[in-house]
Amino acid sequence: MKPRHQISLLVLLSVFTFINLVPILWGLLISIKQPADAFSIPPTLIFEPTLLFHWEVWVERGFFSFLINSLIVAAGTICISVPLGTLAAYGLARTKTKYASTLLFSLLAIRMLPQILLAIPFFVMARYLSLIDTYLMMILAMVAINQPFTIWLMRSFFVDVPVELDEAAMIDGCNRWQAFWHVVLPTVRPGLAVTSLFSMLLAYNEFLFALILTGSRTKTLPVAIAEYGGEDINYWSLSAAGAIGIMLPPVIFTILVQRHLIRGLTFGAVKG
Amino acid sequence: MWLFMAPSVLVIALVLFYPFFSAVYYSFFNYYLGSQAITFAGFDNYTALLSEARFWITMGNTFFIVGASVALQLVLGLALALALYACTRGVRLISLLNFLPHVVTPVVGGIFLKWIFVGRWGLLDATLISFNIFPPDWLGDPDWARFTVIMADTWKFMPFLMLVLYAGLQAFDTALLEAARIDGASNWQLLWHIILPMMKPLILFVVAIRTMDAFRFFDLIYVLTNGGPGTATETITLYTYQIGFRLLEVGRASALGVLTLIVVAMMVALLIWFMQRRGREAF
Repeated sequence: MKPRHQISLLVLLSVFTFINLVPILWGLLISIKQPADAFSIPPTLIFEPTLLFHWEVWVERGFFSFLINSLIVAAGTICISVPLGTLAAYGLARTKTKYASTLLFSLLAIRMLPQILLAIPFFVMARYLSLIDTYLMMILAMVAINQPFTIWLMRSFFVDVPVELDEAAMIDGCNRWQAFWHVVLPTVRPGLAVTSLFSMLLAYNEFLFALILTGSRTKTLPVAIAEYGGEDINYWSLSAAGAIGIMLPPVIFTILVQRHLIRGLTFGAVKG
Repeated sequence: MWLFMAPSVLVIALVLFYPFFSAVYYSFFNYYLGSQAITFAGFDNYTALLSEARFWITMGNTFFIVGASVALQLVLGLALALALYACTRGVRLISLLNFLPHVVTPVVGGIFLKWIFVGRWGLLDATLISFNIFPPDWLGDPDWARFTVIMADTWKFMPFLMLVLYAGLQAFDTALLEAARIDGASNWQLLWHIILPMMKPLILFVVAIRTMDAFRFFDLIYVLTNGGPGTATETITLYTYQIGFRLLEVGRASALGVLTLIVVAMMVALLIWFMQRRGREAF
């Protein structure tokens, strides 16, 4: 392509990217403006930034404790979902029977389940067992949503490891488990990290289950910020500060896993 | 080998299959949370829903919103993927920046968008007013609210399509494109006769994923309009939420969930059939 075309293409893409990011940038601006500036029409672009609202929402309004709740749920989900999923993924990656592929595709079919259909029995169970507002119920729900995805993603990493590696280890005297634990697992370490990060993002961003299963004690960040909402203009600066803070971990996540994003997004079906 | 899978299968049975089958079971009962009386209802919940106007309205809304936003996302995502493919510089940064709306916590994204579309104080209104254009009520007028929700969904999911389709483009054999170009094919001809046919399995695959996810999408609409005004943007998931968790009618909500599942399964089956008729697999 001619250089002239390249430049216009780049300009076009940059303009589009900017428009695409306007909602986020606007939120950022609201969070660091004094309310008087934030609501002036037309929007002001020159102002004195303040971090007051960030301080207020995270420290004084308890968003920090909601962050802890979010992290507990995410960590619990990873601790259950990733080890179990990894074991199953290895098993599935190394079996070539018809049952294995049936199992894999039924796992994919689970994605069709409307989450709300699962949310109902979880809510009823939690009510009966008095487990509303506990981490346990929320973690179990996240594992339920996560497990098929974890298995598919980990499987795609195991499939990349040549079977000869297992066979060589077993000829050298390892049994199946030792070959898995000492030889194959260390080679998929990046895959483990990527899968954990994806599981973490899923649990961190979850709203519907958190809305239903958590309460004042275990409220996670999405529920907390939704309560502030965008409705009441008096809270705009505060909820903008909260929203920007909540956004940071996913942004860091994107930068960390950028090379594996596509694989994660497609259940490992497309390798980026 | 099976020992490796056993723990996971056990957990899936406990946290996925058990809840799923209990929901199917509830759907055949008159079951209000809080009251002790649970009576067998047979297919009453289903027939009641199917003969109800609101069910068909929300189903229609869902199809309209899912259809319009998936189509819009696909066109935009494909255009952007092609632009990235043709671009030689800064591709990684541009794709990463455009990807951000997709990873931002959906509720947070919804709030950001609300500050754009909200009446009078929102960025869009403020800008339009400063140009002396009287803006429509983006969130309060039924038609515009649907439009806004579609835009919101597109904002959130277009990056996903962009990234996956771009990956698909990169996996191409460039020799084929070069050969066609030497034979004198124009860019449009390349797109129509080579790129799109080769991308078809991948496109159907992402559309299938998006369709499944769009049917259960909840967060953005909940924050933006909560189904309003009236029931203009109420999707089937929001309606289920209202019945199940506001009115606590567990039986009826479960029936609605099962109906949703049947509809989604039919859509996906249709897509898979379409995919296999072409004789290619995305996997």
